[in-house]
Amino acid sequence: MTTSKHVDPRGPRFGAAITSALSLIAFYLSLTNQSLAYAIVVALGVLFTWSLISPSTHPYGWAFAKLVRPNLAAPKELEDPRPLKFAQQVGLAFALLGIVGGIFSAPLVAVSAAFIFIAAFLNAFFGLCLGCQLYLLIRRVGIIR
Amino acid sequence: MSPTLSYVDSTIALSIALILLATLTGIGYRFFQGRGHSVSGAQCIELEKLNILKNGEEVTEFGKEATVVLFSTEYCGQCPAVRRSLSKLEYRKGGLLFIEADITHRIDLAAHFNISQTPTVFVLNPAGEIRFRIGGVPKPRTIETELEKLGVK
Repeated sequence: MTTSKHVDPRGPRFGAAITSALSLIAFYLSLTNQSLAYAIVVALGVLFTWSLISPSTHPYGWAFAKLVRPNLAAPKELEDPRPLKFAQQVGLAFALLGIVGGIFSAPLVAVSAAFIFIAAFLNAFFGLCLGCQLYLLIRRVGIIR
Repeated sequence: MSPTLSYVDSTIALSIALILLATLTGIGYRFFQGRGHSVSGAQCIELEKLNILKNGEEVTEFGKEATVVLFSTEYCGQCPAVRRSLSKLEYRKGGLLFIEADITHRIDLAAHFNISQTPTVFVLNPAGEIRFRIGGVPKPRTIETELEKLGVK
């Protein structure tokens, strides 16, 4: 974990917008075309893993730098990447629920896509990072147990 | 209406319901977070238990008129912005002390003060008693209003 590489916060929100579109398509398809929905959830899992391993080479980041950033003013403030990394881990956990759970029970793909959609949508359009918000709660439940 | 068509209709309806659910959650969050509420009773902050460093030195005294405590974690995306605005406030107001407690590794403190989200901000009176608490990013002027009640100008 590096603390020095601060990022333009609009980049991850742009990525979250794409993720929310993909997961919404996956949710819709999970009710009609399950194998395609499963493929999209697997793709989302790969994207989450990618951003955890090598955020600088991630396609979302590339698209943001090439297509979006040139049209924006300089960022007002830069963001610590650690909350973003945590958010990606939460996304990956939900994707894994769909990938592993989907083998045994098809509705879990829909559940996984729905959770990813809600989290990504709130992040993209309301600037609310659900995983970061729930972090303390998750930790506290862990301690109490 | 053919059975296939109504099936497609219901999947579209479910997808729209999902979008609405997410939108309402977002609007509700925007509306309710950061409003805060007064705290009655006399729960006190004990500075020696918080172990807060400020400019490299441990904080041992409360602000003369009031103290504002920001609870943050390493994973809190909105805390840096709150930290900046509270630092500015501290600079502008006489008798106000601003301190920050990183509770990433102090979950015991989160449980003790019943903090379930970051940022969480406490406003303390000169004796260190919690008078007001805000979960989420404080709405503009909320903290100033509370500080004025404590006599901070």
